[in-house]
Amino acid sequence: MHMQETVLKVDNLHVNFYTNQRCNKALRGISFELKKGRTLCMVGESGCGKSVTANAIMQLLPDLSRIEEGSITYWKEGEKISLGELKKNGPEIRALRGEEIAMIFQDPMTALNPVFSVGFQMNEMLMNHSSMSKKEATKKSISLLTDMGVPAPEQRVFEYPHQYSGGMRQRAMIAMAMACEPKVLIADEPTTALDVTIQAQIFELMNTLKREKDMAMMLITHDMGVVAEMADDVAVMYMGLIIESGTATQVLGNPTHPYTSALLESIPMLGKGKNQKLEPIKGTTPDPYNRPPGCQFAPRCKHADEKCHTHMPPEFFTKEAHMVRCFKYEELNHER
Amino acid sequence: MSSQALQKKMDDLLYKEDHGLLKENTTSRTLRKILANKLAIAGFVVFVLMIIMCAIAPLLTKYGPNAIDLRNRLSSPSKAHIMGTDQIGRDIWTRILYGGRISIFIGLGSALGAALIGVSLGTYAGYRRGMLDSIVMKVSEIMMSFPQIILVSILVTILGQSLWNLLLIFILTGWPSMYRMARSQMLSIREQEYIQALQAFGIKGHIIAFKHMLPNAIGPIFVNITLSTAMFILQEASLSFLGLGVPLETATWGNILNVAQDLNILREAWWVWLPVGLVITLFVMAVNFIGDGLRDAADPTQVG
Amino acid sequence: MLNFIIRKILMLIPMLIAISFLIFLGVDLMPGDAVDFMIPPDALSSVDPVKLEALREELGLNDPFFVRYVKWLGNIVQGDFGYSLQSGVPVAELVASKLPATLELSIAALIISTLFGSLLGVVSALKKGTLVDNALTVFGMIGVAIPQFLFGLIMIMVFVFKFQWFPVGGRMTPGSEFFFMRLDYLVLPALTLGLSLTAGVMRYSRSSMLDSLNKDYIKTARSKGLPEWRVNLVHGLRVAMTPVAVLIGFRLPMLIGGAVVIEQVFQWPGVGQMFVMAVRSQNTPVVMMVAFFSVLIVLVSSILVDVVTALLDPRVKLS
Repeated sequence: MHMQETVLKVDNLHVNFYTNQRCNKALRGISFELKKGRTLCMVGESGCGKSVTANAIMQLLPDLSRIEEGSITYWKEGEKISLGELKKNGPEIRALRGEEIAMIFQDPMTALNPVFSVGFQMNEMLMNHSSMSKKEATKKSISLLTDMGVPAPEQRVFEYPHQYSGGMRQRAMIAMAMACEPKVLIADEPTTALDVTIQAQIFELMNTLKREKDMAMMLITHDMGVVAEMADDVAVMYMGLIIESGTATQVLGNPTHPYTSALLESIPMLGKGKNQKLEPIKGTTPDPYNRPPGCQFAPRCKHADEKCHTHMPPEFFTKEAHMVRCFKYEELNHER
Repeated sequence: MSSQALQKKMDDLLYKEDHGLLKENTTSRTLRKILANKLAIAGFVVFVLMIIMCAIAPLLTKYGPNAIDLRNRLSSPSKAHIMGTDQIGRDIWTRILYGGRISIFIGLGSALGAALIGVSLGTYAGYRRGMLDSIVMKVSEIMMSFPQIILVSILVTILGQSLWNLLLIFILTGWPSMYRMARSQMLSIREQEYIQALQAFGIKGHIIAFKHMLPNAIGPIFVNITLSTAMFILQEASLSFLGLGVPLETATWGNILNVAQDLNILREAWWVWLPVGLVITLFVMAVNFIGDGLRDAADPTQVG
Repeated sequence: MLNFIIRKILMLIPMLIAISFLIFLGVDLMPGDAVDFMIPPDALSSVDPVKLEALREELGLNDPFFVRYVKWLGNIVQGDFGYSLQSGVPVAELVASKLPATLELSIAALIISTLFGSLLGVVSALKKGTLVDNALTVFGMIGVAIPQFLFGLIMIMVFVFKFQWFPVGGRMTPGSEFFFMRLDYLVLPALTLGLSLTAGVMRYSRSSMLDSLNKDYIKTARSKGLPEWRVNLVHGLRVAMTPVAVLIGFRLPMLIGGAVVIEQVFQWPGVGQMFVMAVRSQNTPVVMMVAFFSVLIVLVSSILVDVVTALLDPRVKLS
């Protein structure tokens, strides 16, 4: 197996939110790696902490929050940079943003500034990280738009976001994110706001880019169908913790954690036919301010026992580096 | 907040949360918000206090508001006259108290009167649409294109200067903006599904408008009433300063300020005009605080 | 754009006619007429009432309402606004002579308010929660609550009488007509007139800026690695400007109304002062014309607001 080069490593990351005079422990110790040329899908329900993770990597957490513990490390041409220690919005992290690590957001309509043309916003990215002139940047923007499949780019580059269609807007966002050829692309639910047919196109585009540029991609989604399509590696999140991770084959083919299995059983998957048996997951996600003491999924888990309710399971690893945060992992894992 | 202070606050919250010291509060969110808004409370207290003081004026002063005492003209504050006397010897403190009655009455009365007309029209016309709405809308547009003071001045000259005339004029010039506000509230509530349901049930138009839609718009309407009160008090002050408001014999806060047009009094007898001015400012600020507090409490999107 | 402006101006005309009718009606209801002014009060008793009536007939003052209205309207269109009942000078001339003074004052106040208000509001937003923000907020609260003329009086007491930095009133002294030489007359009145607008603009631009800074595109801007100043002042500010411009447009009528009072406080020889005197002396033609023109300014400024909004926000379609 060819050596997978890690470009970004998150280790035991804890993030707390301090809004409404309360303390919400949004991330409780997550660890994962992003590797060159591979897509990691972070999947989980709303509120599990997927977006928080992405924001933490980019150091874009809101004012009333902070990293409590853990590290985020980025390898830039062999040099190790600890992202968590960089000055907030300081020159170092800004040099990385856009040029090494780029991000695209869920709703391109609100993510793009309505009063500036798309070209202006793309030029900003280019001119910020290089010494291009406005003319050169515009030329490059036009070619980027062409690459992303936006028709009539010479005109479009001067138009405003509201004049684009939804799919085109997302392509423009991707064009903007890719402008400086980043090594890592973080995509936070990039197609949730789009039609399913457009979704397929966007993903195809992203895959092509990943292959061509040997880029590491982190794709955040709540849709297991997307995971099945796009993932090389998978990390399943629940209540601020990664409860299962591994390659796509491992996690999807051999779901070990009860939550992962439950997720796969509760949603229809395109292609599996109409006689799929759907089982909704019993119970609801706990109140973040009122968490169960042990495993967060225990109250809803049919395999849970005394130990599960009182102790937080650590990360267990199978022989194949398939991580499961469950005391029962050995029984539940059917690996060959 | 500086980042060090912020870090400390977060550490504090973390500690409290870990030790179970922060539990969910069950009291109504709106009430909590209102109580948390110290400015609104302070404003309300000042507001009520000032009204009470003006109401019990005879208990707080032994002079009459028009008691002339030419021997003590323009005397500076002393034991006998805590705020001094004006150019014909009337006690300033007394005039402020009695004047407050009139000014507050005009302010509140006009705001409520304008609201009564404006909101009723806005509610019904906004719900009904059609001819009535277009006509009233056009009328309100025309009236709102006049700078207030010019319109009021003309009306004052036509109708003559008196307390009741002024009240009437203020209500007449004030209802259009209340109407517009109520109407726009109605227009947005109108689109909601429960209104269609009520219509499907065959409930009469005016009942839907007043019984079902209006209560939902009451928040902004109250805010507007408080802010209008402040505006009318300031207007009365300006008009009286120009001599176009309530006749000068009656004491109102604005009338007391009228003498400040005389540069000599301005320079030599600050007690004649400055205290009244500050009283007006204080009252208007109190009313504004109440209005802001109401607005914040009614706004569900605020996050702490 | 040009089409839009022309169309809006055309839509104004029926409004103006309706308003002119109202003004004519209103002023007609005011006690007294032209003849009352032509005769000094003490001579009134010695004048033959029959002759007075004849005079009224001759001047057309007894014609039916509509006849007089149409005549008046016709005159206006030709630029004839009648004659001042006080001085006999054509009203148009009178207003024209006083207008520059009021314009000078109003424009100065407008510029001061817009610049200071927005600047302070943005600073307040960027430094939210700090001492600067709180101090400015307090200043804003006082600024909207204090009667403008009271502020003017206090300014006079402090800066004219106490410190003697500025002259006590009026617009200039003979011999110093050059604008920069008479700036010291303009400072206090302009600051006073602009006070409540400044406070209002400051409050509004603060909240508008905070709103804008909360939006998603701010995060996108940061994710591109842009420096903070650019994120705040290019992305944040630019979007925040539009609502503020609209607010200023809506408050322009207040500036006109305010001028009426402030000119009185500072003895500024403008249209406002003239209006007050005309109202007091029931000088109908003058009152009518000033009222008419003030409405015209308000209506024109509303068109301006639409134009400025369209220029600032590309999403706005002029239809």
